Amino acid sequence: MTNLRLGGPDLGFGAFLVLVAAGTFAATWNLPIGTAAEMGPGYFPWAIALILLAFGLFFTVKGLTRSHAGIEPMQWRPITLIGIAVALFALVVEGLGLGLASLATIIVAAWASRESRFFEVIVFALFMSAAAILLFIKVLALPVPLWPW
Amino acid sequence: MELFDNLLLGLSTALQFNNLLYCLIGVVIGTAIGVLPGIGPIPTIALLLPFTFGLEPASSLIMLAGIFYGAQYGGSTTAILVNVPGETSSVVTCLDGHEMAKQGRAGPALAIAAISSFFAGTVATIIIAVLSLPLADLAMRFTAVEYFSLLVLGLIAAVVLAHGSVMKSLAMVFLGLLLGVIGIDVNSGAARMTFGVPSLADGLDFVPVAMGMFGLAEIIANLERPSVQRVVSQKLHDLIPSRADLKAAFPAMVRGTFLGSALGVLPGGGAALPPFSSYALEKKLAKDPSRFGKGAIEGVAGPEAANNAGAQTSFIPLLTLGIPANALMALMIGALMMQGIQPGPQVMTEQPELVWGVIASMWTGNLMLLVINLPLVGLWVSMLKIPYRLLFPAIVLFCCIGTYGISNSAFNVWLMLGCAVLGYFFIKVGVEPAPLLLGLVLGPQLEENFRRAMQLSDGDPSVFLTRPISAVLLGVVALMLIAMLSPAVLRKRKEALAE
Repeated sequence: MTNLRLGGPDLGFGAFLVLVAAGTFAATWNLPIGTAAEMGPGYFPWAIALILLAFGLFFTVKGLTRSHAGIEPMQWRPITLIGIAVALFALVVEGLGLGLASLATIIVAAWASRESRFFEVIVFALFMSAAAILLFIKVLALPVPLWPW
Repeated sequence: MELFDNLLLGLSTALQFNNLLYCLIGVVIGTAIGVLPGIGPIPTIALLLPFTFGLEPASSLIMLAGIFYGAQYGGSTTAILVNVPGETSSVVTCLDGHEMAKQGRAGPALAIAAISSFFAGTVATIIIAVLSLPLADLAMRFTAVEYFSLLVLGLIAAVVLAHGSVMKSLAMVFLGLLLGVIGIDVNSGAARMTFGVPSLADGLDFVPVAMGMFGLAEIIANLERPSVQRVVSQKLHDLIPSRADLKAAFPAMVRGTFLGSALGVLPGGGAALPPFSSYALEKKLAKDPSRFGKGAIEGVAGPEAANNAGAQTSFIPLLTLGIPANALMALMIGALMMQGIQPGPQVMTEQPELVWGVIASMWTGNLMLLVINLPLVGLWVSMLKIPYRLLFPAIVLFCCIGTYGISNSAFNVWLMLGCAVLGYFFIKVGVEPAPLLLGLVLGPQLEENFRRAMQLSDGDPSVFLTRPISAVLLGVVALMLIAMLSPAVLRKRKEALAE
């Protein structure tokens, strides 16, 4: 247990909740709160943010005072590559069409695993893109461009 | 008899050709994802939701329900044959089911699992039909006050009965409620926490949230673990169980069915709790408990029956009260709302063919499952040979396309990506994401009923305690929370939920 003091699960979750509560206060400070009988739009968010703040502080204190096993070390490869794959899809699908977006997403996502093999991935990506086009555009009639032209 | 009229109405809906077809599609997809360990019913249903938009409401719900209980069937097949629980609910089936398979009795184990599931499904369908009417009648008399208390009860019970730390799950419920606030406030027209993004005006769509947190985050976490080689080497001889097997399994099957039905109605009791409780019960009742874990047929029949019965009766709160018992039912609420149907007790009277059609389709669906599962078991098992390195990129792609398809906006894909990162963070700090989804779906209802109740009472919160039904509901909430603080109950809960 090397990282006993730095960033246990409770501390991480607690700090996250405090941040969310603070963000809510910041985003809703100009909404009228009103009274319990005539609630304004700010009443409910503020009530929940206060409760979240309480939970956040509880977990933060618990995380700081009790020993814990620490968080499992994070691996960057899966989350980065899956993230890029999804982001690529969002960027490309409307401009370049579903065909190219599917190819790009499959190839980049497959890279997230160490076991993927180059040629297998290419063939599989072509196959899946064809299947996606057939299923989503031909059968389910999703209104999305097919190709860039 | 009103009950029979209703069931007949339901059967005539469920037996229409297109509804039978959607039911079949649902149970086939459900069995497939139940067999595959990498993907569960929540992301699958979320993925298919956008495409149910063009269907009739009944067809859409029939198909989605089929996916849910189909997954319970599929999960047990792999649990028995390869010791891989396709779903969390079939973890218990691994214990004795796989042991039976090792002794060369895979056929009877599969058959008993399927028969138990079918039996439980049939009984549960009747239980749903019997309970729905009085519950919906009761709910018709609810005002905003009772509704608020009922929603609170649903949320708290879901937290107490589900996996994981109660405190953390409670925090997640509130986080979900907060996300539910995002969008234009219906009463004042004020934009709340939309950060100037026009796509957020209608509120946070829960499909990208569900797919990000349950689909993508799970994939990212799976890829961090070392991969396991699954060996499928079971030869299936005869599927027909002997008379002695049936005799031993039958009482367990009946007990499992009723236990599962009862637990399934409870919020949060949806999928995991019934099989575990049934296994514990069978072990306690057995003359020779040491046989359990070494291939006892009761250890397969009881939990399998409980599992299926629970999966089905968890529809009761949804159909009668409009309240989801777990994250999956929350998605079903979303499916209803996409069809323009506001879930609640009025659905029973306004759309009887929808409600009873779905109930009756569970029976036809179970019959289909029995037929497609037993003879085709080899086909399903061969699906396990698809390596995960090919499976996960395909799931990523389908999540992207499905999310995009909800409203043809790339914004939802970005939202899903954000939720995936958030979901990964939750996995890392050991918090369950399911309560958040419940909070997100129920948030707007909870706020609206709270606001109305307070308006009625002139801002006096004691109204929740002076109305009898509301007081009873909140009393149950208080009891549950107090019970959670007692160390004895806490220990029992830990044992019951330990995997």
